[in-house]
Amino acid sequence: MSSESSKKRKPKVIRSDGAPAEGKRNRSDTEQEGKYYSEEAEVDLRDPGRDYELYKYTCQELQRLMAEIQDLKSRGGKDMAIEIEERRIQSCVHFMTLKKLNRLAHIRLKKGRDQTHEAKQKVDAYHLQLQNLLYEVMHLQKEITKCLEFKSKHEEIDLVSLEEFYKEAPPDISKAEVTMGDPHQQTLARLDWELEQRKRLAEKYRECLSNKEKILKEIEVKKEYLSSLQPRLNSIMQASLPVQEYLFMPFDQAHKQYETARHLPPPLYVLFVQATAYGQACAHMKSSSQPPRQDKTLSVAIEGSVDEAKALFKPPEDSQDDESDSDAEEEQTTKRRRPTLGVQLDDKRKEMLKRHPLSVMLDLKCKDDSVLHLTFYYLMNLNIMTVKAKVTTATELITPISAGDLLSPDSVLSCLYPGDHGKKTPNPANQYQFDKVGILTLRDYVLDLGHPYLWVQKLGGLHFPKEQPQHTVIADHSLSASHMETTMKLLKTRVQSRLALHKQFASLEHGIVPVTSDCQYLFPAKVVSRLVKWVTIAHEDYMDLHFTKDIVEAGLAGDTNLYYMALVERGTAKLQAAVVLNPGYSSIPPIFQLCLNWKGEKTNSNDDNIRAMESEVNVCYKELCGPRPSHQLLTNQLQRLCVLLDVYLETESHDDSVEGPKEFPQEKMCLRLFRGPSRMKPFKYNHPQGFFSHR
Amino acid sequence: MERAAPLAVPLGQTEVFQALQRLHMTIFSQSVSPCGKFLAAGNNYGQIAIFSLSAALSSEAKEESKKPVVTFQAHDGPVYSMVSTDRHLLSAGDGEVKAWLWAEILKKGCKELWRRQPPYRTSLEVPEINALLLVPKENSLILAGGDCQLHTMDLETGTFTRALRGHTDYIHCLALRERSPEVLSGGEDGAVRLWDLRTVREVQTIEVYKHEECSRPHNGRWIGCLATDSDWMVCGGGPALTLWHLRSSTPTTIFPMRAPQKHVTFYQDLVLTVAGSSCRVDVFTNLGYRAFSLSF
Repeated sequence: MSSESSKKRKPKVIRSDGAPAEGKRNRSDTEQEGKYYSEEAEVDLRDPGRDYELYKYTCQELQRLMAEIQDLKSRGGKDMAIEIEERRIQSCVHFMTLKKLNRLAHIRLKKGRDQTHEAKQKVDAYHLQLQNLLYEVMHLQKEITKCLEFKSKHEEIDLVSLEEFYKEAPPDISKAEVTMGDPHQQTLARLDWELEQRKRLAEKYRECLSNKEKILKEIEVKKEYLSSLQPRLNSIMQASLPVQEYLFMPFDQAHKQYETARHLPPPLYVLFVQATAYGQACAHMKSSSQPPRQDKTLSVAIEGSVDEAKALFKPPEDSQDDESDSDAEEEQTTKRRRPTLGVQLDDKRKEMLKRHPLSVMLDLKCKDDSVLHLTFYYLMNLNIMTVKAKVTTATELITPISAGDLLSPDSVLSCLYPGDHGKKTPNPANQYQFDKVGILTLRDYVLDLGHPYLWVQKLGGLHFPKEQPQHTVIADHSLSASHMETTMKLLKTRVQSRLALHKQFASLEHGIVPVTSDCQYLFPAKVVSRLVKWVTIAHEDYMDLHFTKDIVEAGLAGDTNLYYMALVERGTAKLQAAVVLNPGYSSIPPIFQLCLNWKGEKTNSNDDNIRAMESEVNVCYKELCGPRPSHQLLTNQLQRLCVLLDVYLETESHDDSVEGPKEFPQEKMCLRLFRGPSRMKPFKYNHPQGFFSHR
Repeated sequence: MERAAPLAVPLGQTEVFQALQRLHMTIFSQSVSPCGKFLAAGNNYGQIAIFSLSAALSSEAKEESKKPVVTFQAHDGPVYSMVSTDRHLLSAGDGEVKAWLWAEILKKGCKELWRRQPPYRTSLEVPEINALLLVPKENSLILAGGDCQLHTMDLETGTFTRALRGHTDYIHCLALRERSPEVLSGGEDGAVRLWDLRTVREVQTIEVYKHEECSRPHNGRWIGCLATDSDWMVCGGGPALTLWHLRSSTPTTIFPMRAPQKHVTFYQDLVLTVAGSSCRVDVFTNLGYRAFSLSF
C-alpha cells in the first residue's frame, strides 16, 4: 500500500513542493539500495511548516472539490458524472495526502515524543548522578567531621609529666632523640611507658594479693588455735578454785571484780585501783607470821548494775537515733506538758545530777572493830565524785543526846582537811551547768547524792586547778596515789576520835568527866568543882552569846563546827563554858570561852584571870593531849577547867569590908597568890609536887 | 543567820593555834628606841616585837606597817618590863634581865648582849621582875619584883650593888625622884615606899589603902602604878588614882576612874602608846582619839 500511496503522491508532491521531491529521490535511492522504505527517515527530511501548509491547502482543495461536487450534484446531469468522478478522484487523492500528512504528523509526534523522552531520560540520569554525588559529598563531610571529632582513648589516660617521663623511662622506650622532635612519637613513647608501668604494677598487685591471702589464712589458723585454748584455760581455772580457797587467795573473786571494774568511769576506776593497791600494800606490811591472807583493814568492792553501765556506752549511731527519737518524743510530751514547766526543769536537774550506776565501796576497819563504810559515786555530767559515809561499831551504840551530830553521815567527814566542808562543787565548770537548770548550789542535794569533798576528787585523780580552769579534767593515777595514804589515815583517826567523843559525851551528860588513868597526873587529886551540864547548842546561839565575840571575830566560829555548852558549879559559883569543837578534833583543839557568875559576872573582857583560865585551856592544850592519839583532849580540858575554877575561887582575895568568912577556903597549895603586873592567880599545876604556880 | 560574821578561812592546826595565841596575848611592856623611830613591845609569851613607828605614823602607812618588823623570843616567861638606854634595850621577865643592842635588834637571830639575874633568896620559885628603872646619874638599873626587894645593878660592871628590903609583898612599880635621888616603889602590900639610894634606906612610907578617900577595899590594896614629879606623885591600882603631895604625904586629888589602873606616866610627847589585855598596841597621836593599832 505504501508503495502505491507514495506513487500517487508523487505528482502532488511535485506540485506542492520541490524539497520532498528531493527527499523522494533520496528515498528512491535508499529504496534502490535497501529495498525498504522508511517513513521515519522521510519525516526527518520534510519541513513541518510546509507540511502544515500542504495540509491547509489540501483541506482547502477538499472543501473546494466537495463544494464543486455538491454543486454538480445539485445541478445534476450526466456529463456532470465525469466531472464528479474527476473531482472524486481528486478528492481521493487529497484524502490520500491527508492520510499521509496524518501519518507524518503522527510520526513527527512520535519522534518528538521520543526525543523528549530521550532528553528527559538523559536529564534524569544526570540528575540522579548529581544526587548521588551530593549524597556522597554529604557522607564524606560527615565522615570528615567524625574523623575530626575523634578523640583517641589515649588522651584520657593521665600520663606522667614530660620531665618525669624522660627521667624515669628507660632509654629504649623514651627514645629521646626521636621523640623530642616528633610529638606523635613522643605520645606513643609515653603510652608505651605507661603500659610498661601498668604491667609492672599489675604484677605487683597480684603478688600482694596472694601474700595477703596467705597471711589471712595464717591468721585464721592462729585464731582457731587461740579459741581452742580458751575453753582449756577455763577448765584449768575451774579446777584451781578449790586450791585457791585452800590457800586463801581468791584470785577468781579479784578477777571478777576487775571485770566489773572495767565498766567503771575513769575517776572511780582510779580510786578502785589505788585503793586496792593500798589495801594490798598494807596487808603485806603486816607480820608474816600470820597465814598470808588479805588484811581486812581496807576492803574494796564495786556495787551497782553493770548492765546499766554497759548501756551507757551504746554505739554513737544508735544513741543518736535514740536521741532524735527521744527528742521527738520529748517535744511531743513537752507540748502536752507545757503547763508544768517546773516538772520539766526538775527532770533536767535530775538528768544533770545523774549518778553512774556503778559505785565503789570502801570499808575501813579500825582497831576496835568499828568500820567506816564509804560509798563513792560519780556524777557523770558534772565530772565530780561524791561520797556517802556510815559508821558501824562492833557493839550497839547508845547515842547520848549531845552526840547526835558526831557520827551522823552528813557531818562525820566534814573538814577532814581544813576547810573541806563538802557543800560546794569543786569543779568550777559546774556553775555554768547549774545556771542552765536553776540549781543554786549543790548543798541542797548533798544529802541524797553524797558530799563532793576535795579529798574525794583527789582520790579519784581529779584535779580542778583554780588558776587555769580546764575544759576536761581527766583522772590521774599519781594524784590519787599521793593522797591515798594520808587520807586513809585521816579517815581512821577521824572515826576513832569521833567514837571516843561519843563515849565521852555519854559520860559527860551524866556529869562525870571521864579522865583516863594515864592522864590523872595532869590534875590534883581533889577536884571540887563539878560538871553539871553538857549540851549541844546551835551555831546561831553560840554567836549570840555575849562572851564569845572574840572567837567569832577571829573567824574561828564557822558553821562547820559543833558547839556545846558546859556548866561547872561549885557552891554559888557557876561557870559557863561555850565550846567550839572543830571537825578536825583532835588535831585542832576545842576552844573554850568562859563566863563566871559569882559576885557579879566575870568574862575575859572584865577579868584578866578569866582570860588566863581560857588561856590555860585553849593555848596550853598541848599538855592536855594525853597519849597519842590524843582522844582525851576534850575531857582533860574540862577537868582542867574544873581545877581552874577551884583555884580561882579559893585564891580570891578576901574583901575586908565584907563580913563573913570566905566562901571557899583555900585548900590548894600555892606558892604565891598573885604575880606580875596583872596579878594573875596561880593556875599552873605542878606534878608530882602538887602545888600551883604561875606560868 | 546573815550577820556580818567573818568568813571562816580554812584554818589548819597552826592557824588556829596562832589565832588562839593572839586572842590570849597580853602586852605587858613597851619601850621606844633612843632614836624614836622604833617601838619595842613585850608580851606574856616572852616575845618581843619591834614596830617601826616612823613607818606606821607616816602618811603612806599600809597594813604591813602596823605589823612588827621583827619578832623574837626573848624570855621563857612573860616580859613584864622593858626600858631603853641610849644604846640598849633592857627587858626583864621571869627572874632575869637581858640586854639587847638597839642597833642589832632589827636583824634576825639577834642574841642578847648579856643577861643577869639578881641574887634571890628563895630557889623554889623564880620571882618575876615587874619593874625596871634607870638611874642615869649612877648609870645603874633598879630591878624590882616578885621577891619584894629592889636590886640595883651597875650597868658598867653588871654587879648587883644594893638590895633594898622593906616591902611585905611583891613590888609592882618603880619611879625615880630626880632631885634627891630617891626611888619610889609601889607594891602588892598597898604601900608606896621611898628609898634613898645613897643611904640605902627607906625614908618614907605611904600606905595608900589606909586613907579612906582613896581606898577601894573591894579592889584590894595593891598599888599598880606610880609616877612622880619630885614634889608630886600619882599612884593608883586597887585604891583610886590619887595625886599626892610627897612632902606632906597627903592625898590631894582623887581622879574619878572606876577601874583599877595599871599604868600611868607624866608624858610630854604627843605620841602615847597604850597596851594591855590584847595583842594590840593602841597608838594615840592626839590625846583625844586612838589613831591606829599596831598588832603582833
